[in-house]
Amino acid sequence: MSEKFHNELKALKQDTTEMVRFARDMLNESVYALIRQDSAKALQVLSKKNHIREVTITLEDRTYQLIALYQPMAKDMRVITCTLKMITAAERIGRYGKDIAEMVKPLHDQPDFEQPLPISLMAEQVLEMIDDVIVAFETENLEAIKDFSSRDDTVDAMWHSVFREMLTFMMENPKTITRSTYYIMVARYLERSGDHACKMAENIHYMVTGERIEIK
Amino acid sequence: MTSEPIISTHNLNLWYNDTHALQSISISISKNQVTALIGPSGCGKSTLLRCFNRLNDLIDCVRITGEILLDNENIHAAGTDVVMLRKKVGMVFQKPNPFPKSVYENVAYGPRVHGVKNKSELDTIVEQSLHDAALWDEVRDRLNDSALGLSGGQQQRLCIARTLAVEPEVILMDEPCSALDPIATAKIEKLIDTLKMDYTVIIVTHNMQQAARVSDYTGFMYLGKLVEFGQTNQIFENPQEDLTENYITGRFG
Repeated sequence: MSEKFHNELKALKQDTTEMVRFARDMLNESVYALIRQDSAKALQVLSKKNHIREVTITLEDRTYQLIALYQPMAKDMRVITCTLKMITAAERIGRYGKDIAEMVKPLHDQPDFEQPLPISLMAEQVLEMIDDVIVAFETENLEAIKDFSSRDDTVDAMWHSVFREMLTFMMENPKTITRSTYYIMVARYLERSGDHACKMAENIHYMVTGERIEIK
Repeated sequence: MTSEPIISTHNLNLWYNDTHALQSISISISKNQVTALIGPSGCGKSTLLRCFNRLNDLIDCVRITGEILLDNENIHAAGTDVVMLRKKVGMVFQKPNPFPKSVYENVAYGPRVHGVKNKSELDTIVEQSLHDAALWDEVRDRLNDSALGLSGGQQQRLCIARTLAVEPEVILMDEPCSALDPIATAKIEKLIDTLKMDYTVIIVTHNMQQAARVSDYTGFMYLGKLVEFGQTNQIFENPQEDLTENYITGRFG
């Protein structure tokens, strides 16, 4: 019984890793589509939204079954609870990707900014954090997530910077209001995704060590 | 949450002939708390439990070294009254073992042995003990029926009532639910939770979920050693020893 449980738990963890990777790719592709005004790419991201929903339900069901059938304890219990939280966070990140992809079409005819924005840089930072979360979850080596606190500060600073910059654009030229507003939302979604990465990192830390930390 | 210890052992060793069944056990059992002992078969948890009321004295080949203190008194000291010790430290076994007598007589037996003769006093003790064992409502109309006619779960609660009747300080329970169905088990578990207000309970169980549910402290034993002892939530959420981790996650045992 124990071997069966541990095999199922291992498979659940692997499939959850895949889900986080899938959600991460949705976010990545949506930002790419937004910056390049690539409608085809945006549609591709939108077509994935049902899949992420289905995977969420399937993985959650598998988790509930393992809890109900085996009442896991100690490390097993921590892996299960961490997995559940990873699934929730990954679904959120995937949906932020979908939300950003939905902005590509309405922004198509809106005047573009004359200077590059830190959105892609911000996305890069967040995506790297999610990548490191995946590494830590898979390998249970906490090295990759050890400096998340300062990395999250960087993301937060970028979010505030985009916000201020957008306000300036809007005041200077009301024609940019639509695009600026959307970009504020994109920056906000990226900042939220960074927070989800931090939460996942906290849960992974608990999973591996049994000790709680707070990434501020 | 730690409270004063009621039982403590220091460097306790026990041999069955050449078999070293308990090895340097030092443990402190908190008063009015439930302590669970878990571990694979043969790890010594029942043996340790039976040390606390000197039941192992009944086995010829047993040799014990070290110290066991009950209320700060050595229970192996010369002059210890073993009957009084077993009155203070009651025991409930794996299989319900009521006497082949009436429900009433089962509970009244202990107080009678200890000198209570007055009928109304006995009536009070019987009713109170059955109440405390959450059995009164089910047997109040059949006190004179044979105890052997009760269900397994009722018989086990009767054995608990019988233990309570002599006003023990500590109740030892050796797999008290392993012969019972889930509903009877749930009743005993609920009972254990209320008993700790007045008594100290030490329970040996194979059922780890049960240990996690009912106890405040848990000790994990393996091959005669107390590998880890701590607050139950810590043992089951984040054990410090790999052996404990491996056992409670079902990797061996």
